[in-house]
Amino acid sequence: MSLPTRRPMLRRALAALTVLPVLAAAACGSPDTGGSASGDAAACEKSKGKVELSYWSWIPGVDKAVAEWNRQNPDIKVNVKSTPAGNAGTYQNMSNALKAGNAPDLGQIEYDSLASFRLQDGLTDIAACAGVEGAKADFADWTWSQVTFGAGGEDGVWAVPQDTGPMALFYRKDLFEKHDIAVPQTWEQYYEAAKQLKKADPKAYITHFSQTDPNWFSGLLWQKGANMFGQDGDTWKVDVGSPAGGEVADYWQKMIDEKLVATNLQGFSPALYKAWNNGEVATWVSAAWGYSTIRDNAKSTSGKWAVAPMPQWSAGDRKAGNWGGSTTAVLKGSEHPYEAAKFALWLNTDPKALEILNREGGLYPAATAGLRLEALQQPVDFYGGQKVFDTFAEASRNVNTDWTFGPTMTDTYRFMGDGIAGALGGKGTLRDALQAADAKTVDSLGKQSLEVAK
Amino acid sequence: MTADHTAATAVTAVPAAPQATTAPRPAPPPPRRRNPAPLLFLLPFFVPFVLFTLVPVGYAFYQSLLRTERTGGTFGRKTTVFAGFGQYAEVLGDPEFLGSAGRVLLFGLVQIPVMLLLALVLALLLDSTVARLKRFFRIAYFVPYGIPGVIAALMWAFLYDPRLSPIVELLDRAGAQPDFLGSSMILWSIGNIVTWTYTGYNMLIIYAALQAVPADIYEAARMDGASEAKIAWRIKVPILRPALILTGVFSIIGTLQLFTEPQVLRSISTSVTSTYTPNLAAYSLASSNNYHEAAAMSVTLALATFVLSFGFLKLTGRKAES
Repeated sequence: MSLPTRRPMLRRALAALTVLPVLAAAACGSPDTGGSASGDAAACEKSKGKVELSYWSWIPGVDKAVAEWNRQNPDIKVNVKSTPAGNAGTYQNMSNALKAGNAPDLGQIEYDSLASFRLQDGLTDIAACAGVEGAKADFADWTWSQVTFGAGGEDGVWAVPQDTGPMALFYRKDLFEKHDIAVPQTWEQYYEAAKQLKKADPKAYITHFSQTDPNWFSGLLWQKGANMFGQDGDTWKVDVGSPAGGEVADYWQKMIDEKLVATNLQGFSPALYKAWNNGEVATWVSAAWGYSTIRDNAKSTSGKWAVAPMPQWSAGDRKAGNWGGSTTAVLKGSEHPYEAAKFALWLNTDPKALEILNREGGLYPAATAGLRLEALQQPVDFYGGQKVFDTFAEASRNVNTDWTFGPTMTDTYRFMGDGIAGALGGKGTLRDALQAADAKTVDSLGKQSLEVAK
Repeated sequence: MTADHTAATAVTAVPAAPQATTAPRPAPPPPRRRNPAPLLFLLPFFVPFVLFTLVPVGYAFYQSLLRTERTGGTFGRKTTVFAGFGQYAEVLGDPEFLGSAGRVLLFGLVQIPVMLLLALVLALLLDSTVARLKRFFRIAYFVPYGIPGVIAALMWAFLYDPRLSPIVELLDRAGAQPDFLGSSMILWSIGNIVTWTYTGYNMLIIYAALQAVPADIYEAARMDGASEAKIAWRIKVPILRPALILTGVFSIIGTLQLFTEPQVLRSISTSVTSTYTPNLAAYSLASSNNYHEAAAMSVTLALATFVLSFGFLKLTGRKAES
């Protein structure tokens, strides 16, 4: 290396560095490319020639469905990347990629995070894309409402619904029979069953109460009709600490206080799976997709589980909550929205695709046609030959469709989780947790400059 | 020689400029005498330092001065505006962030002395004349540091888990029922992992310092009839002072950055919140798209680390003078 050239190099490097803040300042001065509320539905044109799309998803076996698409559509090749679950890092990566302008064409986003991505201006409105408008009828009403933010499509269509998580009660049939416990139909009976079980086996718990699954707790609030959020025009109404929610909190607080639920087990942890396997935890109020979670992680209990409708707050009701469920969204910056939307629709409505996603990933389709899938009519060996999906189909019909997720749901869940940690550790109660989460959510919406009703 | 000297002052002159008014400095040498070679050797350090330390910190600081505003409703137009130090007021007024800071301070007050004492004892044992298998133990103590933090945390998580751990099972049988993951013990369970990981690393720094001591000092002490214990306490420990201060500073920095262990234990313990340590709190904020406040929190944390580690250096330095 010759010495004289070095100095200009250094100077150039330093010059480049001093430019950075200037660039950043320029970016600050001009408004971020705003997605306007009126839905500037840019025409969704077909691209010329062959197209390649990138897609991020964490559904087990999604690559098999994509392979089927690629076989049928040689001109629109989809490259799928298997990622960690959304809240386990993928959302963060997506946000970063969106900021950097190199996001994938398509991404898996759960209903509860959709608003947060729209808030970041990370989604493409696909309302004008071929087939999207007409697809409304193909999906369970409440899922379509989630991807159109309740506006029925006039404010844009921001994703295609994929699956849902109608909730029911998974229980150890063998243990219930052994201890002569009736399958609870109400929450009151569930509490009695918990006491009965504890009496029969002091080491056993009716269920576990996890701190990392505040979305599970939201599913319980959902069933109770304790809506956490409401929207009045552009004003958000925060109701995380609602009286109805408080009742649910008090119920579970009683279960915690009387040590009827295991409080030192996190959801989806090896310790929980062990507790399932050795019969320490006897039930799980969970979503349809939970059937594969138990099936795959408590193998030794094959044939011992059964599924019943979720316990009710009033005898004779048939309300169900919902836990999870995803969408396939076309992300901002995709150069091929037409093709991306076409793929998203196919993936979530084509019988063949739905069949693969159900078999491999355990998804319970959001498409109404999916509910008639052959696979969903079959008895499931693991559940003693019960046709478990009948119960979930029933639950799916009974999910309250009037549910809104907040625009900063990650924050709200985090606040709930922190409060739950306190309640499980004996500091504060679940009711306190909801109330604190309420106040902090109002604060967090304010920090995002969103209007909040007092 | 002279060329080296002048170039070195040329380099230090840039950051040290403010001193010029208070302290007399040698007159700057004529420019033509500058030799650029030392600068060239500094580049491999300087360029990454600027790119990966100064620029990110500067960018974080810049981000921390902004806030997001919206017009036209929830999904309307988003603009980023200058907010001054408002985010810092938020951070300093956040009881959970302050609580997490208090938690790591308490943690550091207990864990750092324990760890450094252990490291010192191990180093002295290894250095003593009666020690056998020195090479083996040196490696053995150091091995935990070679294990990636996440793996170590996962391994300990397994050992703490009441349903999976053979250790807990043994303790259970013996009648003790420890709840390593409960809210009262979790902090010390984390401390145990940190101590396990870094004791060997600190031991090695201290041990290296011991190796640099000329053997004739010990010989003289022995001639005077000092016992091994006395040599260790009266000679080796005072000599090790700089090494202990260095490891102390490293440990203070490490404690404030505490992140991996609580984050990993979070997946199995119900008592770790999203704001358990300051670093975790900043991470959680960034994960929920509040980049500006997360940036302010990170800068605050960086400042606190700076103040504490330099405060410690000053404190120990003053003691040395007196």
